[in-house]
Amino acid sequence: MPNLKELMQQESFFSPGHRMCAGCIAPVAVRQVALAVGGAPVVVANATGCLEVATTIFPYTAWRCGFIHNAFANAAATLSGVETAYRALKKQDKLDSEIKFIAFGGDGGTYDIGFQSLSGAVERGHRMLYICYDNGAYMNTGIQRSSATPLYADTTTSPAGRHSSGKSQWRKDLTAIMAAHNIPYAAQAAPSHFMDLMAKVQRALSVDGPSFINIMAPCPRGWRYDTRAGISLTRQAVETCYWPLYEVDHGSWKLSYRPRQKQPIEDWLRSQGRFRHLFVAGGEEEIKQLQERVDLEWARLLKKCGEAAA
Amino acid sequence: MSEKLLMRGNEALGEAALKAGCQLYFAYPITPQSELPEYLSRRMPEIDRVFLQAESEIAAINMVYGAAGAGVRVMTSSSSPGISLKQEGLSYIAGAQLPCVIVNMSRGGPGLGSIQPAQSDYFQATKGGGHGDYHLIVLAPASVQEIVDLTILAFDLADKYRNPVMIMGDGLLGQMMEPVSFPDRSDVVLPEKPWATTGYTGERPKNIIRSLELQPERLEAHNQKLQEKYADMIATQKRSDEYLTDDADIVLIAFGTVARICRSAIDMAREKGIKAGLFRPISLWPFPDESLAKLGDKERTFLTVEMSCGQMIEDVKLALECRRPVHFYGRVGGIVPSPEEVLDKIEQIVAGRCEA
Repeated sequence: MPNLKELMQQESFFSPGHRMCAGCIAPVAVRQVALAVGGAPVVVANATGCLEVATTIFPYTAWRCGFIHNAFANAAATLSGVETAYRALKKQDKLDSEIKFIAFGGDGGTYDIGFQSLSGAVERGHRMLYICYDNGAYMNTGIQRSSATPLYADTTTSPAGRHSSGKSQWRKDLTAIMAAHNIPYAAQAAPSHFMDLMAKVQRALSVDGPSFINIMAPCPRGWRYDTRAGISLTRQAVETCYWPLYEVDHGSWKLSYRPRQKQPIEDWLRSQGRFRHLFVAGGEEEIKQLQERVDLEWARLLKKCGEAAA
Repeated sequence: MSEKLLMRGNEALGEAALKAGCQLYFAYPITPQSELPEYLSRRMPEIDRVFLQAESEIAAINMVYGAAGAGVRVMTSSSSPGISLKQEGLSYIAGAQLPCVIVNMSRGGPGLGSIQPAQSDYFQATKGGGHGDYHLIVLAPASVQEIVDLTILAFDLADKYRNPVMIMGDGLLGQMMEPVSFPDRSDVVLPEKPWATTGYTGERPKNIIRSLELQPERLEAHNQKLQEKYADMIATQKRSDEYLTDDADIVLIAFGTVARICRSAIDMAREKGIKAGLFRPISLWPFPDESLAKLGDKERTFLTVEMSCGQMIEDVKLALECRRPVHFYGRVGGIVPSPEEVLDKIEQIVAGRCEA
């Protein structure tokens, strides 16, 4: 793979000039995916969300490829149709190019309302890569909680206050759920670890069947951080083991990165405004609970990956 | 009535629902109604009511189905694409005769459309929407105060008829801020619901709630029972408002946001010596056809103004039975007509430059 400098010179299917917010990591993630794909022809399906809205403001588009949008619930189903048409044309010798199919959805459109169509698509075995850019809430409609929102995060529909410490549930473990579909490839990635992310995209596109990658993509509006801090927040999420990097390749679980010294979750929480309410008197219990759950999930993952316990 | 408060339409609706005794509210984000879930997610825990966000609009309406069966006052809300997803659930709820309130802060369509205000869900709201022979009562407020009043009425009508009631607003009404006051309802006693499935203890006959009837004769009888209920709604629940119609030569027909724009256009027309008036349906179903037909008894011209390509105009024409010319002016795609545009149309019609 070329080095970073060489990579930045390359043109990809995702162009600059879109209108995503300053400090948003979703377009960084998409750019890394696009650079990993290289020059191969690609059809992208995009569920409704920030990425779709801010990259396709009429009469402009940031997509230098076939692009199809459908409603919140339907990216995987729509791309299933496109991929099926492609296979039919191939079978009839009406098409000879090798086309890659990639779907992008946010966590609302993937973990929640789009989950049924995603589950159906991968069960049927369409050869497509589904990428979830997980910013942990419905950011496009104004930061409402989703099933990807972290425990105790303040959102506009899980507000922290006298009667609540923010969202009261742990997030859905979507990567593991996708792996449980026994698809050829499922992985979790972060843009701070871009070589790992790009290698995962290439691996995902090389397998014969459906693949899924869950990418953490911080949102400066929803997480409330300084716009420069997005990438360091995903690094911190990896170092604290809140967002471990791993892959499940044909059923085999493999840890992609093991932090030398696991960092306390408190540091990651402290740098985000959505957890500010935990850092007043009485928030220690919530932080302790978060740490315990991270430790538990991390220990489980190490076991699945055949790694020595922490 | 409480003191006057300055409130956004979506938030006033939420507060009115609480005043009406709404115990449960099932939400899902969509622009331009998200202020409603946001408001209620803060407000409901404060007074021991339940706010719950679903994983989709389909889940939210079916949560309503479950909760309504248990006999509590329950509400959900969305905007056009989300309301489309709720249609199957609405058909079940209407079939099973359960009371609930559904809010549609509608936006431009079809498909993804836009997030700007529109009234192009009129057909969907008033002609059934889902499968089977059923109706929702549909109420269309034109101010934030009317949002409050009609939301409370909606809960009462839903219980009275054991039928879903829809509040049909639009993006503009949901977002605008106006002074409102809330009625004091602390001594209101909500109706008993002996039909509700609250747990069988042997003290009453078993309650069964369903929309399934596999025997054709029984399903036909069930449908006839529903139709009797709708006939009662048609006889007693038509609501409308009029403005300067007595001497009007031209009567505009508009609901919601557009009715307010038409009022401004009518004032401007009156200054120019054109005798214009407004007929405003408040209940879109049942449509206030008799009051409108009365206006048609006199020699007059009618102009329907909608934020759609022409949907309510069909009910207007049915009400007037081709006795009078009915013109149409509509803007779509999220464009709100200006009073000047409507005035221009009035002037063209009066000058005889428009074919009805």
